[in-house]
Amino acid sequence: MSDRTVVNLSNVYLTSDRGFEVFQDLNFSLKAERSAIITGAAGSGKSLLVELLIGRRFADSGSVEVLGEALNKPGRRRIIKRVRRQIGGVGGIFALVPSYTVSENITFPLVLGAARKKVRKERLMKMLTEFSLLKQAGTLPQRLTRVEHTLVQLARATVANQPLIIIDEPLAGLDQKTYERIYEYMVKLALSGRSMIILSGETLPTNFPNTDRYQIMNGALV
Amino acid sequence: MIRIQHILKEFFRNVYRNPGTTFSGFLSMALLFLLFDLFWVAAQTSDRFYSDLISDLQMEVFVAEATADTTLPEIQEVISGIEGITSVDYVSRSDAREELTALVGVDLLVGYDTLNPLPRSYIVSFASDLLTIGGLTATEQKITAIKGISHVYYSRSWLDKAEKTRGVLQNVGMILGAVILLAVLISSANNMRLMTRARATGFHQMRLQGAGGLFLAFPFLFEGLILAGLSAAAGWLTLFYAHGKVEFTQFEIVFPTSDEILIFCALAGLLGVASAYVGIRRFLKL
Repeated sequence: MSDRTVVNLSNVYLTSDRGFEVFQDLNFSLKAERSAIITGAAGSGKSLLVELLIGRRFADSGSVEVLGEALNKPGRRRIIKRVRRQIGGVGGIFALVPSYTVSENITFPLVLGAARKKVRKERLMKMLTEFSLLKQAGTLPQRLTRVEHTLVQLARATVANQPLIIIDEPLAGLDQKTYERIYEYMVKLALSGRSMIILSGETLPTNFPNTDRYQIMNGALV
Repeated sequence: MIRIQHILKEFFRNVYRNPGTTFSGFLSMALLFLLFDLFWVAAQTSDRFYSDLISDLQMEVFVAEATADTTLPEIQEVISGIEGITSVDYVSRSDAREELTALVGVDLLVGYDTLNPLPRSYIVSFASDLLTIGGLTATEQKITAIKGISHVYYSRSWLDKAEKTRGVLQNVGMILGAVILLAVLISSANNMRLMTRARATGFHQMRLQGAGGLFLAFPFLFEGLILAGLSAAAGWLTLFYAHGKVEFTQFEIVFPTSDEILIFCALAGLLGVASAYVGIRRFLKL
């Protein structure tokens, strides 16, 4: 197991757009090949945490380090771009591109990484097979079911071997069968040695591998 | 290579997904360019017409009464030596009398056989670049300074009016041309803005995946280039087609050369790139 730190937040303070303090002295660290399940009530700041991690929002004070890059200040577009390319996002703000087919959505991180056509084709086939999406390859997102949306996002989040995957509310409102299917993929990802941050409003099963559990309470992670 | 493929793919996707916006953009730009082309051709044609008209302009240089005939060849040589003068033809008293008779139809100088009162003169022609009020005034001063010359005559007031009219037409043409190009810029920019707005959600997602502003902008810049370039070419094709269908016998229509048209289409393409940039800049935060 690697000792490398993938995410490190220390003494982070963040005020929301509406003016109340969301995070007060928030500290969080995630090692490579480990996962973190962060739970919290609605409005506790889970989505704001995601925005901090992808450089869409910046802390009032404290340090935010993701994949070795400091994301403390706005205006560091190149760094933010580089970090985002290494993060696979599922759920929440990470929707699919509506004008792209399933295949195009999945291979988009490879296009950004300027991967060769042959590589793109191979990886796409692997993802479509792995996530049982072969029939939907040429479909636009508007014609997909909710579970298919999540599966395409999972495929996109892993296709370029992104070292960090952020999953926001992956299982909320799913029926039992779908829940089990998505959960199974998430376990598979956790076992594959990826670092994952899973944010959820509900408590997830305790048998999730390589995982530390946190809860957002009073603006801090406990 | 993959980026080029992406740009081409996105360009065709834009056109395919928004055919109405693309076509209306193309059509409005083609019409504006056609209007610009018409002004250009009209300006070139009127310029040629003006040049033809004033190319016949000559100056009459009158010799002073006291000047002896023996000095005339020397005076002619001095006039010929002035820069921009292409020919100097001597008109003697008897030549002048013959011309007057031919002009009026009767010899008005019957009885003046021994003392012809008509002055001796030179008819001076000029190179085309000298046929301006400024050029002719300077030449007039040089000629009147020559010893033995009494005065000169040319259609100064006519030339002055013609030159002023031409200047006004040129200024109006330039302003109209600039307005038309501005209209192309605004029209194309609005077109691009509409297209980027239509794909706002997609761009937001691509940004979250790590796509940069230029990566997202390139297909639109390329589209601006292609649409504006093609619109400009369509404008010229329409004009040539119309010219082939209508015959002008009064004067010759002067078209720009093929090289000029090619350069114009390329510049129109660049204008398209600029307008696409203006259209998407704020939206894509470039």
